[in-house]
Amino acid sequence: MTNKDRYKQAFSALLSSQQFQLKEEEMAQIHNKHKKNIAVAAAIACAVVIGGSGTVYAADIGGIQEKLSVWLYGKQTEVDVTENENGGYTLSYDRGNGTEEMSAYGGVSIDPNGSQTWLTADQLATTISASASIEKDADGKVWIYYYDQKQDITDLFDKNGICQITMTHEGRSIFLTISENEYGGYSLTQTDDTPETSTSTTTTTTTTNIITTED
Amino acid sequence: MRQSVQELATLYQSNLFAAAFNICKNAQDAEDVVQDTLVQYYTIKKEFESEQHIRAWLIRVTINKAKNVTRTFWRRNKISIEDYMETLVFETPQAENLFEIVMHLPEKYRIVIHLYYYEDYAVREIADILKLSESNVKIRLSRGRALLKEALKEEWDDDK
Repeated sequence: MTNKDRYKQAFSALLSSQQFQLKEEEMAQIHNKHKKNIAVAAAIACAVVIGGSGTVYAADIGGIQEKLSVWLYGKQTEVDVTENENGGYTLSYDRGNGTEEMSAYGGVSIDPNGSQTWLTADQLATTISASASIEKDADGKVWIYYYDQKQDITDLFDKNGICQITMTHEGRSIFLTISENEYGGYSLTQTDDTPETSTSTTTTTTTTNIITTED
Repeated sequence: MRQSVQELATLYQSNLFAAAFNICKNAQDAEDVVQDTLVQYYTIKKEFESEQHIRAWLIRVTINKAKNVTRTFWRRNKISIEDYMETLVFETPQAENLFEIVMHLPEKYRIVIHLYYYEDYAVREIADILKLSESNVKIRLSRGRALLKEALKEEWDDDK
């Protein structure tokens, strides 16, 4: 067996389970949504630069920003930040039960022309804090977090497995649509307005998989 | 020339998914990348010279989109590669070992190794797809192979 045979055998295990949307109308719809998201990402990047909430800060250590305080899972959390091989950041933090968790974050936003702009660690921290997060605990309860808020949404899913709620922090409301995904996690869409009235400047999407806590 | 998106999906879906996964290390991200790549093909007016030209374009776009996914600021609490591997069915323990070791290589070596060993591209073609010099591709290929050999020992032959 050659190395190529070995490699192909190893990667033959990797199969996509997704049925891709290939009809013309489906592709056009995705394309339009994508264009909308680029505009939204630009708007959010501006908000990151202009509208810091004051709830996050960064500490300079030896000239390199290594520690940040961000809102994660309803708590203000100290995270260690290191650059990763992809040009983004890896955050590691203690969830409070002695276990360390790590999350990978990117380091860019997209401007209206589709060009990438690198985020500073401060901007990244603000963005993270302003993003809702979701987890399922050991009892099977599903929780949504936004800044210092924590809400049990276990019983709020409709017959299609979708939950829609609004959360507010310091006068700013966000609208969240949560649905179960095929990987046993949840897809979370966060907008600044209800879907019916949202405009292309306020919608964005983030996806989070389940974290099952031990405590 | 143009081929239909449906035809391309049938031909290359698995290859594009594997290339995207190689970079993203996340199945959901990889599937999003493949869908976006197919949408981009559908929306551009570009005429291609041959089927191989289309294939190379799809691979290049997939790789670039996958890199973008890893660099966007939205976080994804990733399933570890070890946890994800438990959902895969490998033909042999050696295949599983090889997969895991490849996925732990640095990205710059991983994608060159993948294009060479999985997609059967030559160094010149890899250089064209990744927009690197041929000498740079050779170096990455050589270093990637050395890391594989060091980890896999007799399960990996010495390639020239």
